[in-house]
Amino acid sequence: MLDATAQAGLVGPGALPRGRSLDAFVTTAVWLGAGLIVAVFFWIVGDVFVHGVGGLSWSFLIDSPTHAGRGGGIGPIIVSTGLILTVCMAVSVPLGVGAGAWLAEFCPSTSLLGASVRRSLDMLAGVPSIVFGLFGNAFFCVYLGMGFSILSGGLTLACMVLPILIRSVEQGFGSVPGEHRRSAAALGMTRARTLAHVLLPAATPGLMAGLVLGIGRAMAETAALIFTSGYVDRMPQSLADSGRAMSVHIYDLSMNVAGGEPNAYTTALVLVASLLVINGATSAIGQRWLCGRSRG
Amino acid sequence: MKHVALMGLGLLLVGTVSGCDNATARGTGADKLVITGSSTVAPLVADMAKRFEQAHPGVRVDVQSGGSSRGIADARKGLAHVGMVSRSLKDDESDLYSFTIAIDGVCMIVHASNPIGSLTSRQVVEVYTGEITNWRQLGGPDRPITVVHKAQGRSTLELFLEHFSIHNERVKPSVVIGDNQQGIKTVSGNPYAIGYVSVGSAEYEATHGTPIKLLPMNGVEATVASVAAGSFPLCRQLNLVTPEPSSGLTQRFVDFAQSLAMHDLIAEHSFVPIVHE
Repeated sequence: MLDATAQAGLVGPGALPRGRSLDAFVTTAVWLGAGLIVAVFFWIVGDVFVHGVGGLSWSFLIDSPTHAGRGGGIGPIIVSTGLILTVCMAVSVPLGVGAGAWLAEFCPSTSLLGASVRRSLDMLAGVPSIVFGLFGNAFFCVYLGMGFSILSGGLTLACMVLPILIRSVEQGFGSVPGEHRRSAAALGMTRARTLAHVLLPAATPGLMAGLVLGIGRAMAETAALIFTSGYVDRMPQSLADSGRAMSVHIYDLSMNVAGGEPNAYTTALVLVASLLVINGATSAIGQRWLCGRSRG
Repeated sequence: MKHVALMGLGLLLVGTVSGCDNATARGTGADKLVITGSSTVAPLVADMAKRFEQAHPGVRVDVQSGGSSRGIADARKGLAHVGMVSRSLKDDESDLYSFTIAIDGVCMIVHASNPIGSLTSRQVVEVYTGEITNWRQLGGPDRPITVVHKAQGRSTLELFLEHFSIHNERVKPSVVIGDNQQGIKTVSGNPYAIGYVSVGSAEYEATHGTPIKLLPMNGVEATVASVAAGSFPLCRQLNLVTPEPSSGLTQRFVDFAQSLAMHDLIAEHSFVPIVHE
């Protein structure tokens, strides 16, 4: 029955129009899907921009918040966010690249350890962020005695971001053709040199994708940070100080402070803008590094 | 260059890890105070803390948010010097010492376009227990009622249930929300919703153009003024709690928070100050 219809569709007299209309339908659906994604993105960014741009000024970026965030700026909050992100990346990038390289290059595909590492990473990637927040509070703040601090927040975020990072790095290595490894071996390169000079540059796109996703998740995080890096909006003196992240500030202004909405929007605008800048810079640096490495 | 930067960062990390073993509340020196608890009280106390720091150079007061239950737990465990609780202490919490810093009312709100001007206590109970499901039954338009309720563990929820003598299992909510502003946003965005929120923030939002209407309770207008006058029936205390009779810096901060000098801040946060003898 199916065959008959298919044949009729192919050779029958009605075949061409039906094929065309199906074709047109699929084309429209695909374009509509892509258009919708772009529209939603621009709608969100546009909404944040329209509501937030009025409050944006140089002093908003450097001043301290006053009146529970309704007045003043977000200077200390930008600094805290930057520090939390730096701690997170300083810990998670080396660990992520190392673990990803081990999974892809050093661990035999039949290894039980490798399989269990992959399985646990996939599960960790799906754990809700509030769970990481509670874990970070119990482990870093209380057990290790770091208290509410930028360090606790950054380390908690690192735990959260690592699964995504490791899996993307692993996939990056996996996409490098086997000839690269064999050619390197034929040239007498050691395993470490092959990794550093051949595989790592070739796997950079995967690493960059993971990094962009990881930074995005880290910058957007509220639940994991409110219990670890905390709520204090003073300018941090060291990584042992508590510091409020931009996402926590937005959450507090829109949920707990009457009249906090305008500054919440402006902070959201700053957050989205810095996310775009960081992502752009990450890709640019990755590209340059990739070119430099593969030439050298 | 890159390696130097990385090494510098590494050293920075090591330095802070080794330097922060004294960062938990009790272990700190005499000049740092950690306060955690109610997300309703946190913005107010954070503002008070800033003034306290200005008045006492060298002193640091770290205010953390997280909910009343967290304030109680942290004060008990010694993770905080002071807890913030947006209700009176319960019988099983009598091991803590509480200090009231302000009063807040809780009132019913509906959308500004709703023709309903007031509801009796009985009607509120019937709406929340699902016996009344349409505004028509209350003299309004023929539309289903969106019942906005608060999540378990919220002080406002406990106060609401206690005042109307409802068991939480009997409530049939359409929407369950967390914070105060979320309640106001939910009702202002839905012409057929009803909810209960802090009088102070509802009044602030209503006078700043948010389309919500505050319903009177037992005939008393829901305003900050009537809460201040003591005539509004549904009120709660905003408290600071300490695990032991406070002394030293903790005592100084509690006294400061209860002093007359804080009344402008309390009013700015739409709460009602109280006068201590």
